[in-house]
Amino acid sequence: MNAWLPALVAGRLLRLAWLLPLAATGLFVLISMAPIDPVQAYVGGRTSQIGPEQREAIAAAWGLDRPAPERFASWLGRLVQGDLGRSITFNAPVLQVIAARLPASLALVGSAFALSFVLGTLLGLVAGATRGRWPDRVIRTIAVVLAASPGFWIAILLVALFAVGLGWLPACCAAPPGRLDSEVALADRWRHMVLPVVTLSVVGLAPLVLHTRQSLIAFLDGPAARHLAAHGARPLHLAFGPGLRHAAGVALTLHLAGAGELFGGSVLAEAVFAWPGLGQATVRAATGADAPLLMGIGLATLLFVFAGNLLADIAARLADPRLRRAA
Amino acid sequence: MLRPLSTAAIALSLMLPAGAGARPLVLAIGGEPDGGFDPIMGWGHYGSPLFYSTLLRRDAALDLVGDLATDWTLSEDGLVWRVTLRGDALFSDGTPLTAADVAFTYNTAREAGGLADLTVLAEARALDATTVELELTEPRITFVSRLATLGIVPAATYGDDHARHPVGSGPFRMVEWREGEQLVVEPNPYWHGGEIAFERVSFVFGSEEAGQALARTGIADLVAVPPAMADAAPRGMKVLHVESVDNRGLAFPMVPRAGGTTGAGAPIGNDVTADRAVRLAINQALDREALVALALNGHGRPATGPADGLPWDNPGAAIPGNDPAAAMATLEAAGWRDGDGDGLREKDGLPAAFRVLYPAGDSTRQALALGAADQLRGIGIDARPTGASWDEIGALMHSEVVVLGWGAHDPSEILYLHHGAYAGVDYYNTGHYRNPVVDAHLEAAEAAIGFEPSLAHWQAAAWDGETGFGPRGDATWAWMVNLDHSYWVSDCLDPGPLQVHPHGHGFPITHDLPSWRWTCE
Repeated sequence: MNAWLPALVAGRLLRLAWLLPLAATGLFVLISMAPIDPVQAYVGGRTSQIGPEQREAIAAAWGLDRPAPERFASWLGRLVQGDLGRSITFNAPVLQVIAARLPASLALVGSAFALSFVLGTLLGLVAGATRGRWPDRVIRTIAVVLAASPGFWIAILLVALFAVGLGWLPACCAAPPGRLDSEVALADRWRHMVLPVVTLSVVGLAPLVLHTRQSLIAFLDGPAARHLAAHGARPLHLAFGPGLRHAAGVALTLHLAGAGELFGGSVLAEAVFAWPGLGQATVRAATGADAPLLMGIGLATLLFVFAGNLLADIAARLADPRLRRAA
Repeated sequence: MLRPLSTAAIALSLMLPAGAGARPLVLAIGGEPDGGFDPIMGWGHYGSPLFYSTLLRRDAALDLVGDLATDWTLSEDGLVWRVTLRGDALFSDGTPLTAADVAFTYNTAREAGGLADLTVLAEARALDATTVELELTEPRITFVSRLATLGIVPAATYGDDHARHPVGSGPFRMVEWREGEQLVVEPNPYWHGGEIAFERVSFVFGSEEAGQALARTGIADLVAVPPAMADAAPRGMKVLHVESVDNRGLAFPMVPRAGGTTGAGAPIGNDVTADRAVRLAINQALDREALVALALNGHGRPATGPADGLPWDNPGAAIPGNDPAAAMATLEAAGWRDGDGDGLREKDGLPAAFRVLYPAGDSTRQALALGAADQLRGIGIDARPTGASWDEIGALMHSEVVVLGWGAHDPSEILYLHHGAYAGVDYYNTGHYRNPVVDAHLEAAEAAIGFEPSLAHWQAAAWDGETGFGPRGDATWAWMVNLDHSYWVSDCLDPGPLQVHPHGHGFPITHDLPSWRWTCE
């Protein structure tokens, strides 16, 4: 019955095989063209304590004194052996830096992903079922306003309202300051997650709401729904019954395909909320022209988005048998 | 079975009351080292080195005093430091610190290619358990800054994970470091320096806004705040403005525009600022008090040199400012006159005009550039404030005036900024200034036998009665302001006497953290 699955996965893996080297080369070219001197970025405010000779020693220690193609070649050589190199900024193996920060980011991105999927689909279905009436208009207005609002602005509004104004939720960080990891209660961790997760889920909410609404309307206008309606099925019942299955495929595809966007949004949310994840590390790596770490994060993100897209296609086919024939 | 259990219970009950009595200290002052706490890679530059001790340290007056060292002498030829160590220093794992650990630290740091510049070290040798010799390749007195900043690591256990699991002989040991979030430390029971009043100290990292929010909710006891909002301290906290040598000034191109370029193709020289009369007049004209009020909300002090108030500063090199009449007389005498009546001067057809570059994202430097330009217009000089990226500034800083900032606790800076050998090297001597007499003074300072004797030479380089890099001499810069570094401090916390801060707001305030005290019960 699942004959479509191996073909799909094999095709995607083939795509990955040429996509990875292409992305790696493109990334490296971009990083080496960036107008940031990694040695100057590393030295930072200590210019007067680090003489020209020491600068050369630093460049030599990180291999920055060699021409870019040579650096790329040796990076590739080590990559083949599973070594992503050493981060300049964090003075640690790239894999270790990513592994240390990925869980915090995944918790954030994962929760936001689930929240925005549930919320987006729900609101889209309600809007579609009440087409033209006030719930529809309210939901669409919210979606359009959210789509037009930058994520960081929403974050600042949320902090101003819920953290500073009402004092209900903490303004930053993944845990209360001044306490050890072992002293932080689970409830505290949840409380600290609320604002970052809400901020992040809002980013991908609008397209999901509008697409779900549209695909539900298409179903409701179709002959199957008209037939059911003629037999007395009410719009809300149609929406959350058979309509859900029609809309869910589209919603899931859209949402999983947008996982990359969610990852991008996490860079911003982590910066605003001082969340110790991969997004924060990405900002440091970029401002420090830390090529090994940027390449590592870039490739990790690529795999993440690739997996998201693949899952989206599989999920859509599971939800909607008609797509299996097309593939 | 019962005995070990009850012993443990007694031990626990003895420890608990002490823990409950001492209040933990929470600081939000930034300064997280991304690369970790490895002195060999450069940790421990300003502020408390936390986990480490150094051979020497600078006290609140910036004088050198012993930390691990009980005695230190420089040989007659200026090449060999002989340091005697105290015999009782222990690492936080309980093992003794010996001369071999010191020699290992210095030799390893020299090779590491990190942020500890030991290029002048030839070799470090342990003579016996408490005596170490540091041999230099050439006399260089600024090497004492390394003695005062390089933390000693244990040779036996130093390895790759040291940066994240530090072991040293300093006042604290690490309890937990959640990267990007917070560092928690506790007193090192083996420390040789005395009692610490805190059971635990937490450094909260993250954004400036987050730190302020923690202060408002009463969680943080000391927070670094931008000067503009410093005066609105929350309840239970007072404002602390610390004087600094975190300075800003106008760096002048010193040579005429003769068509030369740097290795990277950037033009060198500026025909207007190459005239000493113009640079002198700018120094005479600037009303620095007004600039402090305009750009720093009054939280700063006028700057007259690169190291105001530090031991190697020469106040005699300064000239009075806020004197437009004197400035205009200087310009007139040098032939800069307003021939066409447009209010701006020119000389032999060359208008007295130049750009004043500042990094576009830095509002303080922007305000300084605009304020200075406004004042200079009053004496007939057309200074045009121009925002640019650091990238653009790097290409233009040899041919245009730039608002730059320095201020280290290290006279090396005086050498880098003014010695001809550093002309056009990185951000050092951007103006390509060369004066053989100044160069000789700077070299004499580096070759001095002892830090005290070197001070007179650094000062002579600024002004020796005939010449110098200071405004009275060649006027290589027009220094404008020294920033104040602002903090909110809990009413119950006494941080004791504070150093004049270096360039860099935040972590330097921890320099004497082990001697801070609670003042409330």
